[in-house]
Amino acid sequence: MLTAFGRAFKTPDLRRKILFTLAIIAVYRLGAHVPTPGVSYSLIQACQKGAGDANDLLGLANLFSGGALLQLSIFALGIMPYITASIIIQLLTVVIPKFEALKKEGQAGQSKMTQYTRYLTIALAVLQSATFITFAQNPSQLFANPACTNILTDDSIVTILIMVLTMTAGTGLVMWLGELVTDKGVGNGMSILIFTSIAATFPGALWAIQQKEGRWDIFLGIILMGFVIIALVVYVEQSQRRIPVQYAKRMVGRRVYGGTSTYIPLKVNMAGVIPVIFASSLLALPTLLAQFNRKADGSSAGWVQWIDANFAGGDTWEYALTYIALILFFTFFYVSITFNPTEVADNMKKYGGFIPGIRAGRPTAEYLQYVLTRITVPGAIYLALISIIPLIALVLVGANQNFPFGGTSILIIVGVGLETVKQIESQLQQRHYEGFLK
Amino acid sequence: MTEVGESRDSRQASKRAGKSGNPVSRLFGSLGLFISQILDELRKVVRPTRSELWNYTLVVIVFVSVMMALVSGLDFGFQKLVGLVFGNGG
Repeated sequence: MLTAFGRAFKTPDLRRKILFTLAIIAVYRLGAHVPTPGVSYSLIQACQKGAGDANDLLGLANLFSGGALLQLSIFALGIMPYITASIIIQLLTVVIPKFEALKKEGQAGQSKMTQYTRYLTIALAVLQSATFITFAQNPSQLFANPACTNILTDDSIVTILIMVLTMTAGTGLVMWLGELVTDKGVGNGMSILIFTSIAATFPGALWAIQQKEGRWDIFLGIILMGFVIIALVVYVEQSQRRIPVQYAKRMVGRRVYGGTSTYIPLKVNMAGVIPVIFASSLLALPTLLAQFNRKADGSSAGWVQWIDANFAGGDTWEYALTYIALILFFTFFYVSITFNPTEVADNMKKYGGFIPGIRAGRPTAEYLQYVLTRITVPGAIYLALISIIPLIALVLVGANQNFPFGGTSILIIVGVGLETVKQIESQLQQRHYEGFLK
Repeated sequence: MTEVGESRDSRQASKRAGKSGNPVSRLFGSLGLFISQILDELRKVVRPTRSELWNYTLVVIVFVSVMMALVSGLDFGFQKLVGLVFGNGG
Protein backbone atom coordinates (compact mmCIF):
# COMPACT_ATOMS: atom_id res chain seq x y z
CA MET A 1 0.00 0.00 0.00
CA LEU A 2 2.76 2.40 0.90
CA THR A 3 4.39 1.68 -2.44
CA ALA A 4 1.61 3.83 -3.82
CA PHE A 5 3.49 6.84 -2.49
CA GLY A 6 6.31 5.78 -4.77
CA ARG A 7 3.88 5.20 -7.59
CA ALA A 8 2.51 8.70 -7.13
CA PHE A 9 6.00 9.94 -7.88
CA LYS A 10 6.28 7.77 -10.97
CA THR A 11 3.27 9.39 -12.60
CA PRO A 12 4.82 12.39 -14.38
CA ASP A 13 1.83 14.69 -14.05
CA LEU A 14 1.23 13.92 -10.42
CA ARG A 15 4.93 14.10 -9.60
CA ARG A 16 5.04 17.60 -11.03
CA LYS A 17 2.06 18.63 -8.95
CA ILE A 18 3.46 17.19 -5.72
CA LEU A 19 6.91 18.69 -6.26
CA PHE A 20 5.31 22.04 -7.08
CA THR A 21 3.35 21.96 -3.83
CA LEU A 22 6.46 21.03 -1.86
CA ALA A 23 8.37 23.89 -3.49
CA ILE A 24 5.62 26.34 -2.52
CA ILE A 25 5.74 25.02 1.04
CA ALA A 26 9.51 25.59 1.07
CA VAL A 27 9.07 29.18 -0.16
CA TYR A 28 6.40 29.72 2.49
CA ARG A 29 8.66 28.47 5.27
CA LEU A 30 11.60 30.51 4.00
CA GLY A 31 9.48 33.66 4.12
CA ALA A 32 8.47 32.80 7.67
CA HIS A 33 12.13 33.10 8.69
CA VAL A 34 13.29 36.16 6.77
CA PRO A 35 12.99 39.17 9.08
CA THR A 36 11.18 42.34 8.03
CA PRO A 37 13.48 45.29 7.29
CA GLY A 38 13.80 47.55 10.30
CA VAL A 39 13.76 44.64 12.73
CA SER A 40 16.89 43.49 14.48
CA TYR A 41 17.16 39.75 14.03
CA SER A 42 19.62 39.23 16.87
CA LEU A 43 17.49 41.22 19.32
CA ILE A 44 14.43 39.13 18.47
CA GLN A 45 16.38 35.94 19.01
CA ALA A 46 17.51 37.24 22.40
CA CYS A 47 13.94 38.20 23.30
CA GLN A 48 12.58 34.80 22.34
CA LYS A 49 15.14 32.95 24.42
CA GLY A 50 13.97 34.69 27.57
CA ALA A 51 10.30 34.65 26.64
CA GLY A 52 7.87 33.74 29.39
CA ASP A 53 4.86 31.48 29.19
CA ALA A 54 2.41 34.30 28.67
CA ASN A 55 3.21 34.73 25.02
CA ASP A 56 0.51 32.15 24.27
CA LEU A 57 -1.81 35.12 24.30
CA LEU A 58 -1.11 35.49 20.64
CA GLY A 59 -1.19 31.71 20.51
CA LEU A 60 -3.51 30.93 17.63
CA ALA A 61 -2.36 33.80 15.43
CA ASN A 62 1.20 32.71 16.00
CA LEU A 63 0.27 29.08 15.39
CA PHE A 64 -1.51 29.85 12.12
CA SER A 65 1.51 31.74 10.88
CA GLY A 66 3.82 28.91 11.94
CA GLY A 67 5.69 30.98 14.49
CA ALA A 68 6.34 33.72 11.95
CA LEU A 69 4.30 36.32 13.82
CA LEU A 70 6.63 36.45 16.80
CA GLN A 71 9.64 36.46 14.51
CA LEU A 72 8.26 39.58 12.82
CA SER A 73 9.21 37.99 9.53
CA ILE A 74 7.96 39.09 6.13
CA PHE A 75 5.21 36.45 6.29
CA ALA A 76 4.34 37.42 9.86
CA LEU A 77 0.62 37.71 9.14
CA GLY A 78 0.62 34.48 7.18
CA ILE A 79 -2.62 33.27 5.68
CA MET A 80 -4.87 34.74 8.40
CA PRO A 81 -5.98 37.90 6.57
CA TYR A 82 -6.92 35.78 3.57
CA ILE A 83 -9.02 33.44 5.70
CA THR A 84 -10.71 36.33 7.44
CA ALA A 85 -11.40 38.02 4.11
CA SER A 86 -12.92 34.90 2.59
CA ILE A 87 -15.13 34.42 5.65
CA ILE A 88 -16.34 38.00 5.38
CA ILE A 89 -16.99 37.78 1.63
CA GLN A 90 -18.84 34.50 1.99
CA LEU A 91 -20.95 35.91 4.79
CA LEU A 92 -21.70 38.92 2.63
CA THR A 93 -23.10 36.76 -0.16
CA VAL A 94 -26.01 36.01 2.15
CA VAL A 95 -26.53 39.63 3.17
CA ILE A 96 -25.88 41.68 0.03
CA PRO A 97 -28.11 40.91 -2.97
CA LYS A 98 -25.46 42.07 -5.44
CA PHE A 99 -23.02 39.47 -4.16
CA GLU A 100 -25.68 36.81 -4.32
CA ALA A 101 -26.34 37.71 -7.96
CA LEU A 102 -22.60 37.49 -8.63
CA LYS A 103 -22.48 34.06 -7.10
CA LYS A 104 -25.29 32.81 -9.28
CA GLU A 105 -23.57 34.16 -12.37
CA GLY A 106 -21.23 31.20 -12.41
CA GLN A 107 -17.60 31.38 -13.45
CA ALA A 108 -17.42 35.11 -14.20
CA GLY A 109 -19.16 36.06 -10.97
CA GLN A 110 -16.97 33.70 -9.02
CA SER A 111 -13.79 35.31 -10.29
CA LYS A 112 -15.22 38.73 -9.44
CA MET A 113 -15.79 37.48 -5.89
CA THR A 114 -12.25 36.15 -5.71
CA GLN A 115 -11.06 39.59 -6.75
CA TYR A 116 -13.05 41.24 -3.95
CA THR A 117 -11.62 38.71 -1.51
CA ARG A 118 -8.11 39.68 -2.58
CA TYR A 119 -8.75 43.41 -2.16
CA LEU A 120 -10.23 42.82 1.25
CA THR A 121 -7.23 40.64 2.18
CA ILE A 122 -4.84 43.46 1.36
CA ALA A 123 -6.93 45.96 3.31
CA LEU A 124 -7.00 43.65 6.33
CA ALA A 125 -3.27 43.03 5.98
CA VAL A 126 -2.52 46.78 6.08
CA LEU A 127 -4.71 47.12 9.15
CA GLN A 128 -3.26 44.13 10.98
CA SER A 129 0.37 44.82 10.15
CA ALA A 130 0.02 48.48 11.21
CA THR A 131 -1.49 47.51 14.57
CA PHE A 132 0.99 44.73 15.05
CA ILE A 133 4.01 46.92 14.32
CA THR A 134 2.76 49.68 16.57
CA PHE A 135 2.55 47.04 19.18
CA ALA A 136 6.02 45.72 18.41
CA GLN A 137 7.50 49.07 19.38
CA ASN A 138 7.00 47.97 22.94
CA PRO A 139 8.02 44.32 22.71
CA SER A 140 8.22 43.41 26.40
CA GLN A 141 4.48 42.65 26.29
CA LEU A 142 4.73 40.73 23.06
CA PHE A 143 7.31 38.29 24.31
CA ALA A 144 6.28 38.52 27.97
CA ASN A 145 9.91 39.22 28.67
CA PRO A 146 10.66 42.35 30.73
CA ALA A 147 14.27 42.33 29.60
CA CYS A 148 13.17 42.83 26.05
CA THR A 149 12.92 46.56 25.50
CA ASN A 150 13.55 47.12 21.83
CA ILE A 151 13.57 45.02 18.68
CA LEU A 152 13.42 47.73 16.04
CA THR A 153 16.52 49.34 14.58
CA ASP A 154 14.91 52.76 14.54
CA ASP A 155 11.52 54.30 15.25
CA SER A 156 11.26 56.70 12.34
CA ILE A 157 8.01 56.88 10.43
CA VAL A 158 9.72 55.81 7.21
CA THR A 159 10.94 52.56 8.74
CA ILE A 160 7.49 51.86 10.14
CA LEU A 161 5.92 52.49 6.74
CA ILE A 162 8.40 50.16 5.06
CA MET A 163 7.61 47.47 7.62
CA VAL A 164 3.87 47.79 7.04
CA LEU A 165 4.45 47.69 3.31
CA THR A 166 6.67 44.60 3.58
CA MET A 167 4.24 42.66 5.74
CA THR A 168 1.32 43.57 3.50
CA ALA A 169 3.28 42.51 0.44
CA GLY A 170 4.19 39.31 2.28
CA THR A 171 0.51 38.60 2.88
CA GLY A 172 -0.21 39.22 -0.78
CA LEU A 173 2.52 36.78 -1.71
CA VAL A 174 1.19 34.13 0.70
CA MET A 175 -2.26 34.56 -0.82
CA TRP A 176 -0.82 34.06 -4.28
CA LEU A 177 1.13 30.99 -3.14
CA GLY A 178 -2.08 29.54 -1.74
CA GLU A 179 -3.94 30.11 -4.98
CA LEU A 180 -1.08 28.61 -6.97
CA VAL A 181 -1.30 25.44 -4.88
CA THR A 182 -5.06 25.24 -5.46
CA ASP A 183 -4.58 25.70 -9.21
CA LYS A 184 -1.47 23.74 -10.04
CA GLY A 185 -0.66 21.67 -6.99
CA VAL A 186 -2.45 19.12 -4.83
CA GLY A 187 -5.03 20.02 -2.24
CA ASN A 188 -6.64 23.29 -1.28
CA GLY A 189 -3.98 26.02 -1.04
CA MET A 190 -5.38 27.76 2.02
CA SER A 191 -5.64 24.47 3.92
CA ILE A 192 -2.20 23.31 2.83
CA LEU A 193 -0.55 26.50 4.08
CA ILE A 194 -2.32 26.33 7.44
CA PHE A 195 -1.36 22.67 7.61
CA THR A 196 2.26 23.62 6.99
CA SER A 197 2.20 26.30 9.67
CA ILE A 198 0.75 23.96 12.26
CA ALA A 199 3.09 21.16 11.22
CA ALA A 200 5.96 23.56 11.78
CA THR A 201 5.02 24.37 15.37
CA PHE A 202 3.59 20.99 16.34
CA PRO A 203 6.76 18.96 16.95
CA GLY A 204 8.26 21.83 18.94
CA ALA A 205 5.16 22.13 21.09
CA LEU A 206 5.08 18.37 21.66
CA TRP A 207 8.71 18.38 22.65
CA ALA A 208 8.17 21.32 24.98
CA ILE A 209 5.55 19.29 26.85
CA GLN A 210 7.95 16.41 27.22
CA GLN A 211 10.67 18.75 28.47
CA LYS A 212 8.43 20.58 30.90
CA GLU A 213 6.77 17.58 32.44
CA GLY A 214 9.85 15.45 32.13
CA ARG A 215 7.57 12.50 31.52
CA TRP A 216 7.16 10.28 28.53
CA ASP A 217 3.65 9.07 29.37
CA ILE A 218 1.98 12.43 28.64
CA PHE A 219 4.01 12.79 25.48
CA LEU A 220 3.01 9.34 24.27
CA GLY A 221 -0.53 9.92 25.49
CA ILE A 222 -0.90 12.97 23.25
CA ILE A 223 0.48 11.06 20.28
CA LEU A 224 -1.92 8.22 21.01
CA MET A 225 -4.77 10.70 21.26
CA GLY A 226 -3.72 12.01 17.87
CA PHE A 227 -3.96 8.51 16.41
CA VAL A 228 -7.40 7.92 17.90
CA ILE A 229 -8.59 11.24 16.50
CA ILE A 230 -7.18 10.34 13.11
CA ALA A 231 -9.12 7.08 13.13
CA LEU A 232 -12.29 8.87 14.25
CA VAL A 233 -11.99 11.56 11.62
CA VAL A 234 -11.34 8.97 8.93
CA TYR A 235 -14.39 7.00 10.06
CA VAL A 236 -16.76 9.93 9.86
CA GLU A 237 -15.24 11.39 6.70
CA GLN A 238 -15.72 8.07 4.95
CA SER A 239 -19.34 7.72 6.03
CA GLN A 240 -21.79 8.83 3.43
CA ARG A 241 -25.49 8.71 2.72
CA ARG A 242 -25.92 7.41 -0.80
CA ILE A 243 -28.97 8.67 -2.61
CA PRO A 244 -29.74 6.31 -5.48
CA VAL A 245 -30.06 7.91 -8.89
CA GLN A 246 -31.22 6.13 -12.02
CA TYR A 247 -30.73 7.32 -15.51
CA ALA A 248 -33.45 6.69 -18.02
CA LYS A 249 -31.02 5.39 -20.65
CA ARG A 250 -29.91 2.59 -18.45
CA MET A 251 -33.40 1.26 -18.01
CA VAL A 252 -33.53 0.21 -21.65
CA GLY A 253 -31.24 -2.73 -20.85
CA ARG A 254 -32.19 -6.31 -20.08
CA ARG A 255 -33.00 -5.82 -16.45
CA VAL A 256 -35.91 -3.82 -15.16
CA TYR A 257 -33.86 -1.34 -13.18
CA GLY A 258 -31.20 -0.97 -15.80
CA GLY A 259 -27.54 -1.92 -15.67
CA THR A 260 -25.85 0.28 -13.13
CA SER A 261 -27.63 2.88 -11.14
CA THR A 262 -25.40 5.49 -9.58
CA TYR A 263 -25.82 7.47 -6.41
CA ILE A 264 -25.22 10.95 -5.08
CA PRO A 265 -22.82 10.65 -2.15
CA LEU A 266 -23.81 12.97 0.68
CA LYS A 267 -21.05 12.88 3.25
CA VAL A 268 -22.05 13.11 6.88
CA ASN A 269 -19.56 15.94 7.14
CA MET A 270 -19.84 17.70 3.80
CA ALA A 271 -18.05 20.79 5.04
CA GLY A 272 -14.69 19.22 5.87
CA VAL A 273 -12.34 21.18 8.12
CA ILE A 274 -13.27 24.60 6.78
CA PRO A 275 -15.82 25.32 9.56
CA VAL A 276 -13.17 24.55 12.17
CA ILE A 277 -10.66 26.85 10.49
CA PHE A 278 -13.24 29.61 10.19
CA ALA A 279 -14.47 29.25 13.76
CA SER A 280 -11.03 29.21 15.30
CA SER A 281 -9.72 32.12 13.28
CA LEU A 282 -12.78 34.16 14.23
CA LEU A 283 -12.22 33.24 17.86
CA ALA A 284 -8.63 34.41 17.59
CA LEU A 285 -9.75 37.91 16.69
CA PRO A 286 -10.92 39.07 20.14
CA THR A 287 -7.65 37.93 21.70
CA LEU A 288 -5.69 39.74 19.03
CA LEU A 289 -7.76 42.86 19.57
CA ALA A 290 -7.25 42.65 23.31
CA GLN A 291 -3.55 42.15 22.85
CA PHE A 292 -3.27 45.38 20.92
CA ASN A 293 -5.28 47.30 23.50
CA ARG A 294 -3.46 46.04 26.57
CA LYS A 295 -1.48 48.59 28.50
CA ALA A 296 1.95 47.74 29.81
CA ASP A 297 1.21 48.68 33.42
CA GLY A 298 -1.72 46.28 33.68
CA SER A 299 -4.41 48.99 33.77
CA SER A 300 -6.30 47.80 30.70
CA ALA A 301 -9.94 48.44 29.96
CA GLY A 302 -12.51 46.10 31.47
CA TRP A 303 -13.34 44.30 28.25
CA VAL A 304 -9.66 43.61 27.59
CA GLN A 305 -9.31 41.97 30.96
CA TRP A 306 -12.49 39.97 30.39
CA ILE A 307 -11.22 38.65 27.06
CA ASP A 308 -7.85 37.83 28.60
CA ALA A 309 -9.51 35.89 31.38
CA ASN A 310 -12.01 33.98 29.26
CA PHE A 311 -10.75 33.63 25.73
CA ALA A 312 -6.96 33.65 25.88
CA GLY A 313 -6.28 30.21 27.30
CA GLY A 314 -9.02 28.38 25.47
CA ASP A 315 -9.89 26.39 28.57
CA THR A 316 -12.94 28.19 29.91
CA TRP A 317 -16.52 27.14 29.29
CA GLU A 318 -17.34 30.50 27.70
CA TYR A 319 -14.68 29.79 25.13
CA ALA A 320 -15.83 26.23 24.59
CA LEU A 321 -19.48 27.22 24.15
CA THR A 322 -18.72 30.04 21.71
CA TYR A 323 -16.47 27.69 19.83
CA ILE A 324 -19.13 24.99 19.58
CA ALA A 325 -21.76 27.51 18.49
CA LEU A 326 -19.47 28.93 15.80
CA ILE A 327 -18.59 25.49 14.48
CA LEU A 328 -22.25 24.46 14.31
CA PHE A 329 -23.11 27.67 12.50
CA PHE A 330 -20.27 27.49 10.01
CA THR A 331 -20.92 23.82 9.23
CA PHE A 332 -24.48 24.53 8.13
CA PHE A 333 -23.44 27.74 6.47
CA TYR A 334 -20.64 26.14 4.50
CA VAL A 335 -22.72 23.14 3.45
CA SER A 336 -25.46 25.47 2.24
CA ILE A 337 -23.08 27.46 0.06
CA THR A 338 -21.19 24.48 -1.34
CA PHE A 339 -24.08 22.12 -2.11
CA ASN A 340 -27.04 23.54 -3.94
CA PRO A 341 -29.91 20.99 -4.09
CA THR A 342 -31.81 22.95 -6.74
CA GLU A 343 -28.80 22.95 -9.02
CA VAL A 344 -28.19 19.24 -8.53
CA ALA A 345 -31.86 18.46 -9.14
CA ASP A 346 -31.84 20.57 -12.31
CA ASN A 347 -28.75 18.84 -13.60
CA MET A 348 -30.25 15.43 -12.90
CA LYS A 349 -33.38 16.39 -14.79
CA LYS A 350 -31.34 17.67 -17.71
CA TYR A 351 -29.54 14.35 -18.11
CA GLY A 352 -32.63 12.24 -17.58
CA GLY A 353 -31.82 11.04 -14.08
CA PHE A 354 -34.17 10.65 -11.17
CA ILE A 355 -34.29 9.40 -7.62
CA PRO A 356 -36.60 6.35 -7.55
CA GLY A 357 -39.89 7.30 -5.97
CA ILE A 358 -39.32 11.05 -6.17
CA ARG A 359 -40.49 13.19 -9.05
CA ALA A 360 -37.90 15.15 -11.00
CA GLY A 361 -37.52 18.89 -10.52
CA ARG A 362 -38.66 20.64 -7.37
CA PRO A 363 -39.65 17.54 -5.33
CA THR A 364 -36.15 16.15 -5.95
CA ALA A 365 -34.54 19.36 -4.76
CA GLU A 366 -36.76 19.31 -1.68
CA TYR A 367 -35.87 15.70 -0.99
CA LEU A 368 -32.12 16.42 -1.30
CA GLN A 369 -32.51 19.39 1.03
CA TYR A 370 -34.42 17.20 3.47
CA VAL A 371 -31.71 14.55 3.59
CA LEU A 372 -28.93 17.13 3.65
CA THR A 373 -30.26 19.02 6.67
CA ARG A 374 -30.79 15.84 8.61
CA ILE A 375 -27.41 14.38 7.77
CA THR A 376 -25.57 17.62 8.54
CA VAL A 377 -26.88 17.83 12.10
CA PRO A 378 -24.83 14.83 13.32
CA GLY A 379 -21.98 16.03 11.09
CA ALA A 380 -21.87 19.41 12.77
CA ILE A 381 -22.14 17.91 16.24
CA TYR A 382 -19.29 15.56 15.39
CA LEU A 383 -17.06 18.45 14.27
CA ALA A 384 -17.79 20.43 17.41
CA LEU A 385 -17.23 17.45 19.71
CA ILE A 386 -14.03 16.31 18.09
CA SER A 387 -12.51 19.76 18.29
CA ILE A 388 -13.53 20.26 21.89
CA ILE A 389 -12.62 16.84 23.35
CA PRO A 390 -8.84 17.14 22.88
CA LEU A 391 -9.08 20.60 24.43
CA ILE A 392 -10.57 19.06 27.54
CA ALA A 393 -8.04 16.24 27.53
CA LEU A 394 -5.15 18.66 27.25
CA VAL A 395 -6.46 20.71 30.14
CA LEU A 396 -6.72 17.53 32.21
CA VAL A 397 -3.04 16.69 31.73
CA GLY A 398 -2.14 20.35 32.17
CA ALA A 399 -0.57 20.56 28.74
CA ASN A 400 -2.77 23.31 27.37
CA GLN A 401 -0.12 26.00 27.90
CA ASN A 402 1.91 24.52 25.11
CA PHE A 403 -1.07 23.61 23.00
CA PRO A 404 -3.27 26.65 23.27
CA PHE A 405 -5.60 25.28 20.62
CA GLY A 406 -4.89 21.59 20.84
CA GLY A 407 -8.08 20.14 19.43
CA THR A 408 -8.25 22.54 16.54
CA SER A 409 -4.70 22.01 15.43
CA ILE A 410 -5.00 18.22 15.58
CA LEU A 411 -8.28 18.32 13.69
CA ILE A 412 -6.92 20.65 11.01
CA ILE A 413 -3.81 18.51 10.54
CA VAL A 414 -5.80 15.30 10.20
CA GLY A 415 -8.53 16.85 8.08
CA VAL A 416 -6.16 18.48 5.62
CA GLY A 417 -3.99 15.36 5.55
CA LEU A 418 -6.98 13.18 4.68
CA GLU A 419 -8.31 15.56 2.05
CA THR A 420 -4.93 15.86 0.36
CA VAL A 421 -4.26 12.12 0.41
CA LYS A 422 -7.69 11.50 -1.08
CA GLN A 423 -7.07 14.01 -3.83
CA ILE A 424 -3.76 12.36 -4.73
CA GLU A 425 -5.55 9.03 -4.59
CA SER A 426 -8.28 10.09 -6.98
CA GLN A 427 -5.70 11.46 -9.39
CA LEU A 428 -3.85 8.14 -9.25
CA GLN A 429 -7.05 6.27 -9.98
CA GLN A 430 -7.81 8.49 -12.93
CA ARG A 431 -4.72 7.01 -14.51
CA HIS A 432 -5.86 3.45 -13.75
CA TYR A 433 -3.30 2.93 -11.09
CA GLU A 434 -4.10 1.02 -7.99
CA GLY A 435 -4.21 3.73 -5.32
CA PHE A 436 -2.97 3.93 -1.76
CA LEU A 437 -6.03 2.43 -0.34
CA LYS A 438 -6.27 -1.00 -1.89
CA MET B 1 -37.27 1.65 -3.01
CA THR B 2 -39.02 1.13 0.30
CA GLU B 3 -36.57 3.36 2.14
CA VAL B 4 -37.50 6.32 -0.02
CA GLY B 5 -41.19 5.61 0.58
CA GLU B 6 -40.66 5.52 4.32
CA SER B 7 -38.89 8.81 4.47
CA ARG B 8 -41.55 10.36 2.28
CA ASP B 9 -44.12 9.33 4.86
CA SER B 10 -41.94 10.82 7.53
CA ARG B 11 -41.52 13.99 5.53
CA GLN B 12 -45.26 14.37 5.22
CA ALA B 13 -45.50 13.74 8.93
CA SER B 14 -43.31 16.77 9.53
CA LYS B 15 -45.91 18.91 7.80
CA ARG B 16 -48.66 17.39 9.93
CA ALA B 17 -46.74 17.79 13.17
CA GLY B 18 -46.93 21.56 13.05
CA LYS B 19 -50.70 21.70 12.92
CA SER B 20 -52.20 20.14 16.03
CA GLY B 21 -52.04 20.61 19.78
CA ASN B 22 -50.83 23.55 21.86
CA PRO B 23 -47.62 25.41 20.95
CA VAL B 24 -45.40 23.69 23.54
CA SER B 25 -46.33 20.14 22.69
CA ARG B 26 -46.21 21.08 19.02
CA LEU B 27 -42.63 22.27 19.49
CA PHE B 28 -41.61 19.09 21.27
CA GLY B 29 -43.52 17.02 18.76
CA SER B 30 -41.74 18.51 15.80
CA LEU B 31 -38.40 18.40 17.60
CA GLY B 32 -38.89 14.72 18.41
CA LEU B 33 -39.91 14.07 14.84
CA PHE B 34 -36.83 15.89 13.58
CA ILE B 35 -34.57 13.82 15.81
CA SER B 36 -36.22 10.59 14.73
CA GLN B 37 -35.78 11.69 11.11
CA ILE B 38 -32.08 12.32 11.79
CA LEU B 39 -31.70 8.85 13.28
CA ASP B 40 -33.60 7.48 10.31
CA GLU B 41 -31.16 9.04 7.85
CA LEU B 42 -28.17 8.04 9.98
CA ARG B 43 -29.27 4.43 9.74
CA LYS B 44 -29.00 4.63 5.97
CA VAL B 45 -25.46 5.98 6.08
CA VAL B 46 -22.87 3.69 4.52
CA ARG B 47 -19.95 3.28 6.91
CA PRO B 48 -16.38 2.39 5.96
CA THR B 49 -15.30 -1.21 6.37
CA ARG B 50 -12.70 -2.19 8.92
CA SER B 51 -9.91 -2.60 6.38
CA GLU B 52 -10.79 0.67 4.67
CA LEU B 53 -10.67 2.48 8.00
CA TRP B 54 -7.34 0.90 8.90
CA ASN B 55 -5.79 1.73 5.52
CA TYR B 56 -6.89 5.34 5.48
CA THR B 57 -5.75 5.87 9.06
CA LEU B 58 -2.34 4.43 8.33
CA VAL B 59 -1.91 6.46 5.16
CA VAL B 60 -2.88 9.69 6.91
CA ILE B 61 -0.49 8.99 9.78
CA VAL B 62 2.35 8.34 7.34
CA PHE B 63 1.51 11.43 5.28
CA VAL B 64 1.31 13.71 8.32
CA SER B 65 4.55 12.37 9.82
CA VAL B 66 6.39 12.77 6.52
CA MET B 67 5.13 16.33 6.13
CA MET B 68 6.07 17.22 9.70
CA ALA B 69 9.54 15.81 9.27
CA LEU B 70 9.93 17.66 6.00
CA VAL B 71 8.76 21.00 7.38
CA SER B 72 10.90 20.62 10.50
CA GLY B 73 13.91 19.87 8.31
CA LEU B 74 13.20 22.90 6.13
CA ASP B 75 12.76 25.08 9.21
CA PHE B 76 16.02 23.92 10.71
CA GLY B 77 17.88 24.66 7.49
CA PHE B 78 16.29 28.07 6.98
CA GLN B 79 16.90 29.06 10.57
CA LYS B 80 20.60 28.30 10.18
CA LEU B 81 20.67 30.12 6.85
CA VAL B 82 18.88 33.23 8.13
CA GLY B 83 21.07 33.16 11.24
CA LEU B 84 24.15 33.19 9.01
CA VAL B 85 22.86 36.08 6.93
CA PHE B 86 21.42 38.29 9.65
CA GLY B 87 23.96 37.83 12.40
CA ASN B 88 24.16 35.91 15.64
CA GLY B 89 21.36 33.67 16.86
CA GLY B 90 19.89 30.85 14.78
